Amino acid sequence: MKYKHYLHAIWAIMKKDAKIFFRYPANAIFNILEPIIWITPVYFLSKAFQISGKNIGFAQYSGTTDYMAFLIIGDVISSFISSVMWGMGFSLKNEMDRGVLESNWLTPVPLLVQLVGRSLFSLLMTTVNSLIVAFIAWRIFGFTIGDGIMKSIVVLIPLLIALYGLGFGIAALVLITNDANAIIDITSGALNILSGQQFPVTVLPRFILPISLALPITYGIDAIRGILLNTRTILPINIEIGILVTFMLIGTFVGYKILKKVERHCKTVGNIGFH
Amino acid sequence: MKSLTSIFAVFKKELKIALRYPSWFMQLIIWPVALPFGYIFTARALSGKDASSLNQFQSMTNTTDYITFILIGTTIWMLVNSMLWSFGSRLRVEQIRGTLESNWLCPVPKINIQIGHALFDLVTNLIFVIVSLIEFKIFFNFNFAGSPLLAFLVLILSIPSIYGIGFIFSSLVIWAKEINSMVFLVRGIISIFCGITYPLTVLPNWMKSISKIIPMTHTINALRSVIAAGANLHDISYEIKFLILSGIILMILGILSFSYTQNKAKATGSLGHY
Repeated sequence: MKYKHYLHAIWAIMKKDAKIFFRYPANAIFNILEPIIWITPVYFLSKAFQISGKNIGFAQYSGTTDYMAFLIIGDVISSFISSVMWGMGFSLKNEMDRGVLESNWLTPVPLLVQLVGRSLFSLLMTTVNSLIVAFIAWRIFGFTIGDGIMKSIVVLIPLLIALYGLGFGIAALVLITNDANAIIDITSGALNILSGQQFPVTVLPRFILPISLALPITYGIDAIRGILLNTRTILPINIEIGILVTFMLIGTFVGYKILKKVERHCKTVGNIGFH
Repeated sequence: MKSLTSIFAVFKKELKIALRYPSWFMQLIIWPVALPFGYIFTARALSGKDASSLNQFQSMTNTTDYITFILIGTTIWMLVNSMLWSFGSRLRVEQIRGTLESNWLCPVPKINIQIGHALFDLVTNLIFVIVSLIEFKIFFNFNFAGSPLLAFLVLILSIPSIYGIGFIFSSLVIWAKEINSMVFLVRGIISIFCGITYPLTVLPNWMKSISKIIPMTHTINALRSVIAAGANLHDISYEIKFLILSGIILMILGILSFSYTQNKAKATGSLGHY
């Protein structure tokens, strides 16, 4: 019965988020335009290095001359990363600013359920956006991907669940610092860069490469590229999937524990209304 | 004198808020290196292990130093981005918090509130440029081939254009009651058309025509010429003239659009709507 109520709460939060989202229709359009705007300068950068229309130099590192396909896959996955981060952390800050966070916390719905609800609509919109963006990018820039889409989704699922653990951690940080923008901006940006959203991580300097290789997201992006583009992967794809599943189990557990601890702390100190 | 008091009151308020939320300091340290980081290593990957792709880049830019090339572009982009967020979000945040109406009821010219914000931004942007230069030297061995003073002059001459766009932008935010998408649109236009990471020669002709009328394209070109190629004042005279002219036009347009929006919002009573 309790879980049925939680589902009701998640549904109500999603409905509320959908209402706000469609109240500002410019947002919906720019959510599609924004990734294209990010991709375009990188596309032109890749053109500056092309020989006879092919990124020959790039193939020496990655195993493919199709840089745009490589980039689009990285971009789609990083948009999911951003979606979880902003969907959880930033929505808390928004509610702080609007003065509704305290009243939401007084409802008999656990914070965890509220956070999941907030991120679900964001994830749904990210999926729709990613499909549209990939289609537009394919029409404008042109790229080719292989036929392993179903297999790549199998890799994406543990990655997404694992990201929720990270999202809980980010939400905890926002609650402690009362600030969201800087924390999410930096975390999300650093994850995108270090996990090889735009380039193969093997080009990173030796002192940064270990950080990149310690991030399970790196293996998620690498495995999906390996499946779809047949690029050279860091480790065999099966091992990369194993790393992701382990990360999923540990990440969500640790993130949940941290969030619970911070929630208790906030309730004791009574600081959620301060900002 | 009264005008100055209100401008400095806004400046003081902004300073207090900035010190209350010190996490911006982290952004100040991290972003100057983090943003170009992705582009630089993309360029490194694209240049390959042999020299053939890098030679192709050199044939378009006259340099193999893609690091300096990218650092200049991303720094200007970040300056404009920070200006857009601060000009747009300050009014929008006050709209959401419900303080915009009471602030606009104060017996001071509304443009003073914006000038106070602009003054605060000027100081933070100056700090941003100094921090960026120090970090570029440490992480990327960044060097000036030309005169740092001339590069500074180019930056100073770009400020009226950047702030003029900021005033127009803040009026747009009041109209659209939305900031995120507006920032993404304007900074997106700059990142696509101004060549922050790539030489303009790779653009199709119709895009080149648009890029030539955006002041930031000329700022980036002039800075690249001075810093990377050691150009003198004579070599960049066209860019200097363009920046002076665009600064005058955009500042006038900015102040006019802000005054118009202010009168319109007062007449329709829509300030508190969001």
